[in-house]
Amino acid sequence: MRIGIDIGGTHTDGVLVDGERLIAAAKAPTLYDNLLESIGRVLSSILLNQDPKKVTTLNLSTTLNTNAIVTGNIDPVGVLVVGGPGIAVETYRVGSHYHLIPGSLDHLGTETAPLDSEELQTVVAGCFEKGVKTFAVVSKFSPRNPVYENLIRAHLQEQADFISSGHLISGQLNFGRRIHTCYYNSAVWRNFYTFSTALMESLQGFDIEAEVNILKADGGTMPMARALETPVQSIFSGPAASAMGILAITRTDTDSLILDIGGTTTDIAIFAGGQPLLEREGISIEGRPTLVRAIHVESIGIGGDSLLQVEQAAVLVGPQRLGPCMARGGALPTLMDAFNVLNLAAFGDVERSAGGVEALAVRSGMTGRQLAAKAVDTAINAISAKIEDLIALVNSRPVYTIHEILEDRPIAPAQLIIIGGPAAVFQELLRTRLGMEVVVPPLYEVANAIGAALTRSTAYLDLTADTAKGKVSVPRLAIYRSIPRSYDLDTAIGEARSLLIGDLEQAGVSISPEEVQITQADSFNIVEDFYTAGRNIRVVAQVQPAVIAHIDTGNTGVRVNSRT
Amino acid sequence: MLKAKSTLGVIFFPAYDWAISETHPEREERLLYTQDQFREEGLFDIQGITEHRPLRATDQDILRTHFCFPSVDAIATESHRISAGGAIQAARLVLEKETRRAFALVRPPGHHAMKVVQGNRGFCNVNIEAVMVEWLREHYGQKRIAIVDTDCHHGDGTQDVYWHDPDVLFISMHQDGRTLYPGSGFPEENGGPRAAGRTVNIPLPPNTSDEGYLHALEHVVLPILADFKPDLVINSAGQDNHYSDPITNMCFSAQGYARLNAMLRPDIAVLEGGYAIKGALPYVNLGICLAMAGCDYSAVLEPDFNPEQIREQPDTMNYIKRLCQQMTDVYFYPKPGSVEKEGHYFIRNRDIFYDTENITEKQREELKDCDSCAGIRIIQSRTRRTGACLGIELPFNCCPACEQEGYERFNRQHDGFQIAQMLDRKNKHYAYRP
Repeated sequence: MRIGIDIGGTHTDGVLVDGERLIAAAKAPTLYDNLLESIGRVLSSILLNQDPKKVTTLNLSTTLNTNAIVTGNIDPVGVLVVGGPGIAVETYRVGSHYHLIPGSLDHLGTETAPLDSEELQTVVAGCFEKGVKTFAVVSKFSPRNPVYENLIRAHLQEQADFISSGHLISGQLNFGRRIHTCYYNSAVWRNFYTFSTALMESLQGFDIEAEVNILKADGGTMPMARALETPVQSIFSGPAASAMGILAITRTDTDSLILDIGGTTTDIAIFAGGQPLLEREGISIEGRPTLVRAIHVESIGIGGDSLLQVEQAAVLVGPQRLGPCMARGGALPTLMDAFNVLNLAAFGDVERSAGGVEALAVRSGMTGRQLAAKAVDTAINAISAKIEDLIALVNSRPVYTIHEILEDRPIAPAQLIIIGGPAAVFQELLRTRLGMEVVVPPLYEVANAIGAALTRSTAYLDLTADTAKGKVSVPRLAIYRSIPRSYDLDTAIGEARSLLIGDLEQAGVSISPEEVQITQADSFNIVEDFYTAGRNIRVVAQVQPAVIAHIDTGNTGVRVNSRT
Repeated sequence: MLKAKSTLGVIFFPAYDWAISETHPEREERLLYTQDQFREEGLFDIQGITEHRPLRATDQDILRTHFCFPSVDAIATESHRISAGGAIQAARLVLEKETRRAFALVRPPGHHAMKVVQGNRGFCNVNIEAVMVEWLREHYGQKRIAIVDTDCHHGDGTQDVYWHDPDVLFISMHQDGRTLYPGSGFPEENGGPRAAGRTVNIPLPPNTSDEGYLHALEHVVLPILADFKPDLVINSAGQDNHYSDPITNMCFSAQGYARLNAMLRPDIAVLEGGYAIKGALPYVNLGICLAMAGCDYSAVLEPDFNPEQIREQPDTMNYIKRLCQQMTDVYFYPKPGSVEKEGHYFIRNRDIFYDTENITEKQREELKDCDSCAGIRIIQSRTRRTGACLGIELPFNCCPACEQEGYERFNRQHDGFQIAQMLDRKNKHYAYRP
């Protein structure tokens, strides 16, 4: 049996799943200052009359780290950066202990200016003096050559509590993003470490001996041991959990869109052939782009509680939300009230909706129904426009080969899956507007927890080989070794594949070689003075997010226990 | 985060699956390290700098620009169509005001491809700037356009395409043709009889560095542009003036390229040559992008950059200054070239060598000195491969007489030409006979 828990902004949801069967589901309020209490309530409910020893896996999606950043509950981080020619290092300044150490590597990883070790010593001494104990160490082009990051790490080792090294966080090139990713990783580490220790103790109290995994923003999981090395990967895992839940409930294997309509916002994600589409490089945290791989989610400020306003005969919907809809006791009319007025919904106190919308309408010479119709139109148009933009964006992603230009299959979603409170109300309206099949799946209230329960581990690595230099590198696994001149693309693909399998195995996850996707495999002739000096080989391998089972939605008979 | 002062669209298309041949400089690897540099610098994380896919140039896009013999498919492979389509995308972004400027970082290049194309010259089959210019004129009307070619090699193809066009100012700054392929590009080449002064060639001596290059830009190019007042400035941005380029002899740097772009302020830049793919291109391309976007580029330096070592000798600098003093006259007071005329037609007879394919084209061009329009152009072209070919071009503002003459010539049977191509800009009719 597997447990999935999603700690969201307002609710903590949990499910217990056995194979394809949903056994129990529960909701509890999220208590920010006592997350263990929220988890505990959900666990007590779903484990009622169950043998906790039969639980093999517990997957947890948590806003802990996101929330820590938002509320400033983070550690000071010594950010030690080695730059070089190009965009000024100052551009990426973050935190109050950001230091540049002179030195430079070029795009081949060749040293072009030596590391200033005197400056390094001064900077490090200064950080320790100020009580800084966590660090982020990043050099430009470190995935090509980690020498500076390793050197600085060795220098810090004895006295630091935690160090994030750029090349171990991601093998992808992007200096600024690498700095920010390492910064946030170190900033949230201590809080996450404290939480994980308490969580493990608390699970013992429930007699749960399951392996514990943490959800990542790309829809996959990582074992707790890995999460303690890269806690930053757990940021924004909530929308990813929902997307994976939809996958488990609907079995969608075509191009489709997922709309999660909430009170304030609507989140839109896109699936290509049943797989969620990821951000090209990573999500932004506090407006800073990072290398945290994530499901691509577009948000629009329209939801059931979006405030209605009239401005010069135009009806505006959102992005403001001042409270719940009037039907649920709010003070001002919202989109949900407009649905009530048009008899598209009968939610809560319909009379209050009518009164509120009418009052707003009268002031601008409309009837309540006119205003409500305009409001719904505005909302549907805005959501539709956003959907069309997202499809256009996905289909115009840059490609780099003639083959891709000629052969690329455009993504053309034919199905829209809606979840969230007001989902059913939108179904018919969006079907008419977009001409797509629109589905409101069952169990969507706990899709996030189901997704958490059933998703599997994901992993990713970049391999770069240069047979002229006789070197292969896999930064994330700290592999930098010599290769013979005969090393070719097939060897590289084979090596990437087995390294990724081995990496997951080490984390306690076994996958078959077919599950490893090779997303890039290029071999370039390196030509020097008009003869071929060797090959430059680039391979990217990944294990995509996927669910290990689909939920049998036929007749679960499970009711979500909201009274935990 | 960094923010662009002018929004910039970059069409980055390295064509990782195409090469002229395995070890040719124009091969898959050429933009690999540029992409590494862009990625590591996070160029597309700068607010206002965006990355775009190329479009694909259609038969019509190419045939409104070139006479392709024996056929368009024999000349333009997919790689050429997509490279030209990258330039078209750049023009589209700017003219649709999606971005203020655009840079088509595409390959293969195009500026050695002339009006008539019988094969590959200097790594070029299709003139991607010209295909772009004709595309934008077709879609957005006749514009005044300035093309400033800063590739190290004379842009003889672009010069040829616009030789007779007074609405396109072509300025080429390049290493002196006495010392480098294609051996042309002297000040006397200043445009056809109806476009005198609209072609300006600035042959710079070998070892010209930043100071000399920017001196020519400031004292020749910018004053001419200020007078011409183009609607669009296009930079044919070759990067082979770089001090480390393997096939040229100039001493330009990444800083120099960036300053050139900051001064020239092109609306559109299109990559041409440049084959120092590790030591120059990553830095030059980054410098150009930052300069075009109005971002700080002062720290974009090659690791081995040493301004003292590459600086011009005093006599080189003196030579450049003297040259530049006379250069603006080419535009402001153009001397009529020696023009051959038969009846109402200006005549040019030329031999054109296609170095890559080792063929020579014999060409005769007739341009009607028409009082009512820009004049019908008739080109006879012959190589050992294609035999006798005929190209007929009718201008945008073609008069009825020229139009009638053109179609009569095109439809004539048994005139001895194996292939004939009609390039009718007025009626947008582009066709082959048979």
